Amino acid sequence: MSALGGAPAGGAAMDPISMVIGLVLAVVFIGITFVLAPLAVIPLIGIIVGGVLIGFGVHFVPVGGAPAAMGQAPGIATGVAMLAAGAGLAGLFGGAWAAEFGVVVATITGAIGGGLLMAITCLMVNVIYVFGMGIPAASGKVEKDPITGDTQAEYKSQGTEGHGLPFISFVGGVLGGLFGGGGGTLIYIELLTVYEQYLPSIFNATVEQIMPVAISLAGMFAIGMFLVNAVLAAYNITGTIEGPHDPKFKRFPRAIVASLVASALCGLVAILIVVVNLNLTI
Amino acid sequence: MTAQITVTEGGIPHNTLMIYGIVGSLVLIYLTYLNTVTGTQYFSFLGGLGAIAALIWGSSTIKRLCSYGIGTGVPSAGMLAFGSGVIAMLLATKFGIASPIVALVLGFVIGAILGYIANNILAMKIPVMIQSIAELAAVGGMVMIGFSAMATGSFTFSPLSVVPVEVLGATVNSFGASLIGGGIIAAIFMLGSIALQHGFNACLGPSEKQDRTLMLTAEVGFLSMLMVAIFSYAFLGLYALIINVIISVIGWYYTYAQYIALSKRDAAAWLDSKPIVELEGA
Repeated sequence: MSALGGAPAGGAAMDPISMVIGLVLAVVFIGITFVLAPLAVIPLIGIIVGGVLIGFGVHFVPVGGAPAAMGQAPGIATGVAMLAAGAGLAGLFGGAWAAEFGVVVATITGAIGGGLLMAITCLMVNVIYVFGMGIPAASGKVEKDPITGDTQAEYKSQGTEGHGLPFISFVGGVLGGLFGGGGGTLIYIELLTVYEQYLPSIFNATVEQIMPVAISLAGMFAIGMFLVNAVLAAYNITGTIEGPHDPKFKRFPRAIVASLVASALCGLVAILIVVVNLNLTI
Repeated sequence: MTAQITVTEGGIPHNTLMIYGIVGSLVLIYLTYLNTVTGTQYFSFLGGLGAIAALIWGSSTIKRLCSYGIGTGVPSAGMLAFGSGVIAMLLATKFGIASPIVALVLGFVIGAILGYIANNILAMKIPVMIQSIAELAAVGGMVMIGFSAMATGSFTFSPLSVVPVEVLGATVNSFGASLIGGGIIAAIFMLGSIALQHGFNACLGPSEKQDRTLMLTAEVGFLSMLMVAIFSYAFLGLYALIINVIISVIGWYYTYAQYIALSKRDAAAWLDSKPIVELEGA
């Protein structure tokens, strides 16, 4: 949008009334959980933290979208939904393998999984940009790269907003992968503890027997919440961002409130599945 | 971002389609209950047809939402729909015979809250945002429950998470061999979201026609239904499987032929391509 000289769409303005309504809703969701399943409140807090990490992490990832595919804007040439799904699922798979080592090890493993996927993606994106499309990496949003201090303007083609993945975008991508992978794994681990606690009595079976269902349910809910949080964060940055140096990055407080409310809602529903037990005979 | 970019011309009004989608998917998914009434498995395919009714409705909703230019690409809307839809669907399966209705209502409630978050907290300011995301979450839930009903012949939590398996002549309850425990629900998740977002994503742009877009959605929906029919081999008898596959293939062939005919109608010119004639001695 800035290529047209207009103000960025959406803007950084905050709507205080909506924010307060959102926070009240989040408190209500936590309250319902406290009444129906008191043991699940601490996991719900963990789920919310995971959701907020995902929403925050998306702001670091250099999402270029269609303009990047044509070499007219910096970033990875696809949408947030694809990038987030890739980084989040890679993190989730890594973290799920380490689930038995406890929350801390599993979350860090998940973060490394997500960060690794983003690092490989960013590297290959730059290889394709530089050697395939023949364009150098240059940012259109800053004069100098905040980390390396390299000037950008000389490398930027006229009529574009920059192209390729400058170093700061690369670092942002890896950071975003770390946050996203860690957040997704945290949601999975917390849900898994809830299901391990409640499901055996529902099915009248041992923990070992219900593990496939518990893992699958926790995984599906984690994927669902991951996509919800990632797409909401994508709406916040209106689709594209260069990385942490982009002015759009300053909009992240809105996304944190949005992720908090959305995660509280989705976490409540995910916990209700072990509370509601109306097995009306069919 | 409030300016509407694509103006929909002609075709069936969205609200009419929505009513067809709600009634059609509910009735068809409930007709799989004939399995229980008649003691057979032959009516499972109706669940898949119900899912396709919901997909057509969802495709129209995506068209309505994405015509405002949400900046994140059409697939993100499909991902958000199924991310929230799977959460609604999994809780709804706990409500026994009321599952499809609960999935619909719960999808609307979760979607409305997510829509409020996107529209007000994230300041998207799109007039149809709340209604569209509410509809999309409901569509996601209905498609998931429809395909699950097609694969297993049932739409309640217990048959989806526990199946009796014969081991050494004795029948034991297996959690790992079920739709949820075996992770088949993840495949249904992706099959549904691809079918939901592909129609408008492929057909958008100038001279987009409603009937062509919805026909493509139905075609991809029948392809997904064919995959679900193959999954049903794990849960249903041979005859039910054959019925599922035959209905899917017939539906796919019909919609594919129709889609090609509509594409020829809308194309500026249609020249039947022929192999390049190689000149003698050239």
